[in-house]
Amino acid sequence: MASSSSSPAPPTLTSAYAAPPPTSISSQIASTTFTFPTYTSFPPFYTLQPNLTTRARQLTLWSNLLTTYCAHHRLFKLSLSFLPANLFANPSIHRTLSQPDIRTVLDHLALPANGGRVEWIPTSSRSEKPNSCWVYWRTPAEWADAIYGWVDETGQKGAVLTVYEIREGEAVQSQEWRGMDEELLRKVLSVLVKRGKAQIFGQEETAGVKFF
Amino acid sequence: MFLRQLDLTPALRPSLYDDESLLFVQDAVGLYEGKFKIANYQNGHVYLTSHRICYVDNTEPRQYSVAVNLKDVDHTEFYAGFLKSSAKITLFPKTPKNGLRSPVPKYASPSDALVRPGNSPARSHAPSPAPAPARDINATWICPICGFSNAVPANFDPATANQHTKLPACQACGIPPPLVHMVKAAIAAISNRPAYSSPKSSALSDGNNGRGSFDVPSVSTSDEIICPRCTFGNHASLSTCEICGASLTAMNIRRSQLIGDSIARPESPGPSLGGESIVGSDTIETIKFSFRAGGEKAMLERLNEALVQRKWLLQSAPPIPKPGMVNNGGIGSDPYSAPPPPQRVVGIAGLERRGAELCKNNQTVIGSAFEDLEALMTSAKEVIAMAEQFRSQSASSDSITPEARALLTDSASALGLSTTRDMLGTGSSSETLYLTELARNLAEFLTDDRRGVLRREGGIISLVDLWAVFNRLRNGIELVSPLDFEKAANMWETLHLPIRLRQFKSGLLVVQDRSRTDEKTIAALLSWLRQPIPPQLSSDGFEQLPPAVPAGLGFGHGATAQETAERFSWSVGVATEELDMAEDTGALCRDQCLDGTRFWENCFEDFVVALGLKVPSAASVEQMESDQIMKNLESMEF
Repeated sequence: MASSSSSPAPPTLTSAYAAPPPTSISSQIASTTFTFPTYTSFPPFYTLQPNLTTRARQLTLWSNLLTTYCAHHRLFKLSLSFLPANLFANPSIHRTLSQPDIRTVLDHLALPANGGRVEWIPTSSRSEKPNSCWVYWRTPAEWADAIYGWVDETGQKGAVLTVYEIREGEAVQSQEWRGMDEELLRKVLSVLVKRGKAQIFGQEETAGVKFF
Repeated sequence: MFLRQLDLTPALRPSLYDDESLLFVQDAVGLYEGKFKIANYQNGHVYLTSHRICYVDNTEPRQYSVAVNLKDVDHTEFYAGFLKSSAKITLFPKTPKNGLRSPVPKYASPSDALVRPGNSPARSHAPSPAPAPARDINATWICPICGFSNAVPANFDPATANQHTKLPACQACGIPPPLVHMVKAAIAAISNRPAYSSPKSSALSDGNNGRGSFDVPSVSTSDEIICPRCTFGNHASLSTCEICGASLTAMNIRRSQLIGDSIARPESPGPSLGGESIVGSDTIETIKFSFRAGGEKAMLERLNEALVQRKWLLQSAPPIPKPGMVNNGGIGSDPYSAPPPPQRVVGIAGLERRGAELCKNNQTVIGSAFEDLEALMTSAKEVIAMAEQFRSQSASSDSITPEARALLTDSASALGLSTTRDMLGTGSSSETLYLTELARNLAEFLTDDRRGVLRREGGIISLVDLWAVFNRLRNGIELVSPLDFEKAANMWETLHLPIRLRQFKSGLLVVQDRSRTDEKTIAALLSWLRQPIPPQLSSDGFEQLPPAVPAGLGFGHGATAQETAERFSWSVGVATEELDMAEDTGALCRDQCLDGTRFWENCFEDFVVALGLKVPSAASVEQMESDQIMKNLESMEF
């Protein structure tokens, strides 16, 4: 239940985070290190290809890398200023995906036609481009199904649970959505509300959810 | 007069001998033999050289190209066109010595070159009002006095024989027959020969179907040759009949076999001759060139000039007769001018005399050559040889490079080989003719292995470079403008020449061999890129490590445009274009890094397949394209 620092983390990952805000980015590191697939050692992978057919394939691979990486490291959100070092770069072959290219990749992945795995978080001022995004290695719909399934299995239908409990209660330690961002969780819950499977009431901090 | 088969260069122009020079070219020419068109030889170019006159067909140049040696031509005749009939130049062949010919030559004169004692002609001619000579050795005439059967002489032509024709006497009684008798016998013999059409000489007959083949020997079943005259069965290896002495040549035998195969009427007695027996055939009377697009007057002029000059008789062109010139010193053997009086050339006096002679000779050559431009062209070879001589004598070794010397000798031959504008007639078609000839010259120049232009450039050269090299070679004579050059380059495809012009995406025009396709280039690039690159020494001696791509992953190596140019000996521009082209087809992918752009083999496909990922459909690719366009538009607005 504690946040990041306790478990042994690969040094690169924590060093990339300069003073991370405690709640927004949860970086509970998995014990096993992530094995980078072969294509991350292919230098042209880090250059956006002009040939569109090749680019389509390249973007497919990027999408795959992003989702598996984030799933492994349980990153729900990605901020362009605080990127994990090894995700968009490979120091051993001295290649990095440049910032505009990263944005292009994420934009591409944000399209629903490509799976909608990324969603930009809109910034407060209208003119700026968003700087951070959600990475849906599972879409909210999938999360909703998972949570509802768990609620169903543990027989908590009809019971009232706090949001905090769903996020970080003891019962959910073995579940995949533990440590999820609050905002994301609220999104997932609103999906359930729309489906008519849940209802939220109460204040922000002490909100409760009731499942039907 | 022979029509000989012609050797063509790769650019489908006649390949000339060393001392043969090109005089005139004309397009849209057809060939006639006698009065009749020769099928398959109706649309082509005619090239007049100092030794021959050549016809190169347009549709099938390698198959239907023939040449006539000018030394076989007796005289020419000109027919200016009238209404639908185009202008024609007729070439009359020379007669050999042992011919029997009427003293009055007429239009369809019996060509005595046909005559070979003991040979029958290969075919007879179509039924025209004057039956063309049928060379049948087996024609016989009966002497009215003693009844002995003599052979009609092979070159006797009933059509043109007149009172003055010399008739041979009867072998038994020695009295020559009356002309009428001989003519009757010859005609009877012709009409008795059965009509046949072989696959080779089709569409011809003398109009009379076979009455019997008793005049022609036939082969019976068991190796016996039936004599045409007395039907005795001779042994197969005999050449004359044992009983009557008639000739049993193989040509007769073959003909009889053909008779057996097909006694058929010809399809139409039209005025055209069958195809194949034209080349090398002996029975040609006259050859006509029909000029359907003009140029006949100039051609006639040049032809007559060439006939007069008789350049084929000498090793080198004879000097134009200059007044007061005794002897051409040291140029070549000249059997037609008197040998110089033998002079004692010993001692200092001899050396001095030789020097003086050389001086005088040089003076006359220079004087006459530069007075007249025409004369200059003719004596260009001598002038150049003289210039060579001076250079080698006077200059030191530094100032001449071997290339300069080579250039000098090449320019001499270049004058002969390339088609200059004055070789072509004036007229509207001369522009296109100039361009076609230029295209062919270029093709020859590029495929010339001695120069190895294409080989030096790795098989592909940009059009601009080629233009520069070509004009440099012309040495200031007949330079080609870029516009003409490009027009000629565009004609390579239509003329089926072995090189082609290719345009890259960026608009760069290159010239390459026809057999070199994009696929081959891509395959060559891929096979090279697949090899892992060994570490190389850089110029300052330190070992340059390649980018630390883990070997064994199967990526090969990445190459910059510079490296590619070095490897394939292309120019850098060409290398960049080729790599871009390969990238467009999806065979390569690029890798932008700090030290430039490298190209790798496109492995993305393999990864996607290996991971079992779903590749975005074509719709999403289009979506990407439209996104990109939108982005470009937006960025342009700022």
